[in-house]
Amino acid sequence: MTSKTTQVWLGAAVLAASLVHASSASAQEPGLTDKTIKIGMFSPLSGANMAYGFDVVNAAKMYYDKVNKEGGVHGRTIELVVEDDRCNANDLVSAVKKLVEQDQVFMLNGGSCSAAAVAAKDYVVRSKIPWVMLNASADGALYPPTDYIFGAYSISQYAVGGSVVDFGKQHLKAKKIGYINHDDAYGAWNLEAAQATAKELGVDLAVESINPNITDVTAPLIKLRAANPDMIAITTYAKPAALIIKKAHELGITKPIVLAVTGTANVSQLVDNVGSKDALKNFYVQDVLADVPGGSKIKWVYDMYKENYPDLASKPDHPQAYMPYGIAPAMSVVKALKDAGPNPTREKVAEALRTQKFDSGVMAGPIEFGPNDRAAQESTIYLKFDGNQQTLVPGSFQSRWKYKG
Amino acid sequence: MRDKTAAVLPRSEADLPGLSARSSVPLGRVALLALAVATLALLPFAVTGYVLYIANLLLVFVVLCLGLHLVIGESGQFALAHAAFYGIGIYTSGLAGNAFGWPFPLSMLLAGLVAGAVGVVIGAVALRMRDIYLALATFAFGEAMQWVFLNWDQVTGGPNGLRISPARLGAFEILSDRQAYPVVVVMTVLMLLLTILISRSRLGRSFRAVRESEVAAMAMGIPVRRAKITAFGLSAFFAGVAGSMFATFSTYIHPDSLGFQTTILVLTMIVVGGLGSIAGAVGGAIVFGLISEFLRQTPSYQEIIYGLILIGFMMYAPRGLFAFIRDKVGGGTRG
Amino acid sequence: MTLDVAFLFLQQGIASGLIVGSVYALLALAIVVIFKTSEVPNFSQGEMVMAAGYIALYLLVFQSLPLWIVMPATILAAFAGAALFRRLILNQVARANGSPVNLVIATLGLSYVLRGFVRQTGFGDTPRSFPPVVEPESILIGQASVTTLDLVILATAIVVMAAFFWMFKYTKTGRAMRAVGMNPKAARLVGVDLTRIHMIVWGLSGGISAVAALLISPKVLMTADMGSIVTLGFAAAIVGGFTSLPGAVVGGFLIGIIENLVGLFITSRAIVLAPFLAIMLVLVIRPQGLFGGRVEIKKV
Repeated sequence: MTSKTTQVWLGAAVLAASLVHASSASAQEPGLTDKTIKIGMFSPLSGANMAYGFDVVNAAKMYYDKVNKEGGVHGRTIELVVEDDRCNANDLVSAVKKLVEQDQVFMLNGGSCSAAAVAAKDYVVRSKIPWVMLNASADGALYPPTDYIFGAYSISQYAVGGSVVDFGKQHLKAKKIGYINHDDAYGAWNLEAAQATAKELGVDLAVESINPNITDVTAPLIKLRAANPDMIAITTYAKPAALIIKKAHELGITKPIVLAVTGTANVSQLVDNVGSKDALKNFYVQDVLADVPGGSKIKWVYDMYKENYPDLASKPDHPQAYMPYGIAPAMSVVKALKDAGPNPTREKVAEALRTQKFDSGVMAGPIEFGPNDRAAQESTIYLKFDGNQQTLVPGSFQSRWKYKG
Repeated sequence: MRDKTAAVLPRSEADLPGLSARSSVPLGRVALLALAVATLALLPFAVTGYVLYIANLLLVFVVLCLGLHLVIGESGQFALAHAAFYGIGIYTSGLAGNAFGWPFPLSMLLAGLVAGAVGVVIGAVALRMRDIYLALATFAFGEAMQWVFLNWDQVTGGPNGLRISPARLGAFEILSDRQAYPVVVVMTVLMLLLTILISRSRLGRSFRAVRESEVAAMAMGIPVRRAKITAFGLSAFFAGVAGSMFATFSTYIHPDSLGFQTTILVLTMIVVGGLGSIAGAVGGAIVFGLISEFLRQTPSYQEIIYGLILIGFMMYAPRGLFAFIRDKVGGGTRG
Repeated sequence: MTLDVAFLFLQQGIASGLIVGSVYALLALAIVVIFKTSEVPNFSQGEMVMAAGYIALYLLVFQSLPLWIVMPATILAAFAGAALFRRLILNQVARANGSPVNLVIATLGLSYVLRGFVRQTGFGDTPRSFPPVVEPESILIGQASVTTLDLVILATAIVVMAAFFWMFKYTKTGRAMRAVGMNPKAARLVGVDLTRIHMIVWGLSGGISAVAALLISPKVLMTADMGSIVTLGFAAAIVGGFTSLPGAVVGGFLIGIIENLVGLFITSRAIVLAPFLAIMLVLVIRPQGLFGGRVEIKKV
């Protein structure tokens, strides 16, 4: 075949394709029958970022199971289709498109990785599908607000960074804060709020931004030591955080250290990794759950996990630290479906979500959306941690960052 | 990688089904091509937008593979900075659309040219090296570019990523994979034809002469250095165009997707397809892209399976997918 | 920045750089020894370190074995694993007679398999460590603060490298390895068993990886993805010339120091960029690396 005929063929194909438009107009809402309602979930279920999503999905699943056992929502059983998004933008978009176009789900409940989740933003808004995120902060998809995307069920990064600074100023009386964040999306968001809050409170900020893959944290800490701050705030992930705390101890830094929730995945492992409880003499962790891990308020979540996944629960490191974060998003979905009435449409559900407010009992603050606010959870608690005991620090500490639309 | 690289690469032309033999074209190949064309043409009528998204993505990888084929497969120069040029293409066309509202054919051309120009500059420096040194220098350049994408906040949006506004042509806006598909297909076919043209031209012959033996090429009067830089620049041009194709159906780009693993993925595709053949580059991209998408359905074991597939291919199908099938089926002859 | 501070930064940068650099040097050595004999840049080197680290973790923490058993056992296991991979997998890949890049892709495949396997155990996600070989105590050298563990790491790395050079230079196996590196065909003609030499080379590379794992796991923390640290080993190898063992060592120290100085004097953001700039700079000025041999032109 010559190239000319190929071109003719393709010309015809292109013409034909452009004449036909996507025909998706159907009388019935997709994913909805009298007896069932189909929800699409996606999260990293494999690879390096599996810890951010695998058990979060399991937690949401067990909550949906419970709802189904109690008769479902308006008599409809919730059916789940779960996809692996690998925490990667291309794969996440392909998971979302598969759920929406192939599996015809009614709505979406997924996303545990912020930068990747932002990639699906425009598609979801164009398709007018309600999307309740899992534990992704994904502030990039929440600001500017849209009618269909709801997230930050664990915490908004803007709240993380601002609240740490407020805590430093109010509780630790810090005038100058050494602030270590990542050079990624998370880091950019929490730093923006930290700077806004610091400005308002008259606090000085000495910032060191590091790559999550860094292996030697000496340089940033030596620089921070030279800047002589009154406290050090760390908003990195668990691994760099442990390295930083350990190195700070080795370098003789005795100022208080506050570790943001981004790095607190497993505090007992943190003690092992830091190697010495002396390093934690003056140490605070930020948390976003209603209680200390395993505490009485959220014990039911861990019990439910054991009951639903006995095999997994017997494996090491399970449930994974972020597991309880899956509950609030699932509650939010169920509540929105209930509020949308016996004949839900995507529009009605999105509308219900836009004004939703309830207390999950699992997270530190209420799940609450407002006219300009698509970030569900913005409250944090602070715990003093000495290597064995976590004690709650009383008081409420808020970010001063505001979205300027 | 020194002398061996050249010796074991398949002698290219006879390896390209349907492209080499000018006199008589076997019927089977015509049928195969017709089938491919028909599939591409009919796909939008048969499948969902999700499948078209996958198709678009695969075709982007086809063009990426064609580009890497030119520099590695045809010219034997192990350049490993493909993701960087791909990224330059995405950001260039994205910014041209975002900031100036350029019509997409123009921003596509611009994306290719900018990537190609950077490629020529880098090539002029890097191609003084050969073999492993070239591979590693270009690898370092790729990593450095990823850092630039992540830290040049004012231009690339840095860690926030860059939102890409819909591709435009006059009043027409591409808002879905279905609308983007014809554009992506046409571009892929154009780039495929361009690859074939290059491969069959004097330029292509000089590339292969350089690959087989630089000394001999020099003796034949081929300007070796210029040929290498041209191949590298062309490969960057292809990657840039691939990036602009990606920008027609994507709304967002983040530096995370532009690291060494993307370069390695493209390299894996052309090796598994069959290094040195255009059909191999195309087939490798499609087969490996599909494998990756199917593996998403078996989360817990996918890394192990993927690794075993790679090892298995290298152990039992060393000359690539097509050579393997041809040998097993027993039809066709090898050059 | 005052002169005092700058001087302190300089001391600390060099001290920390030498220590972390000694680990990069070990990794670079493991990479170069394989490359020298078989021209394969081993993409699974980082995962070999990672796997060895997890073997040590398993024996030390979960089986509660003493360190004097765990260390040799880990090194032995890594030696055997790497040698077997060469014998069972790469031999077949080489025999299959594709492009040399096939060997590289096969090592890439191994890296996926190892990572996937460690993740299957359930221990791959949370960053972990095991008790270090010595308790780290801070000490000051000049104004630079280092720990006793740092010094042990540096010393061990130097001892291992010295032993390795000695073996390469003065033992029969070492000479055979060098012969294979220079001209495999000729080496075979004079009676060198290529398969055996390749196995030993891979085994040694695995052994060095295990030593590196034992030294650094408590320092950099283990996850299934800790293998990415090998990028710095590659950077060190390149700066040193990629075919030169002393070059790899010098490259390791250089990369460590550059990384720290860039972090201290320029910006922490650029720490990860520093190795790549170093690679490009060195290669542009000296295309064969600092210690690499002359670049030969391809023969007809």
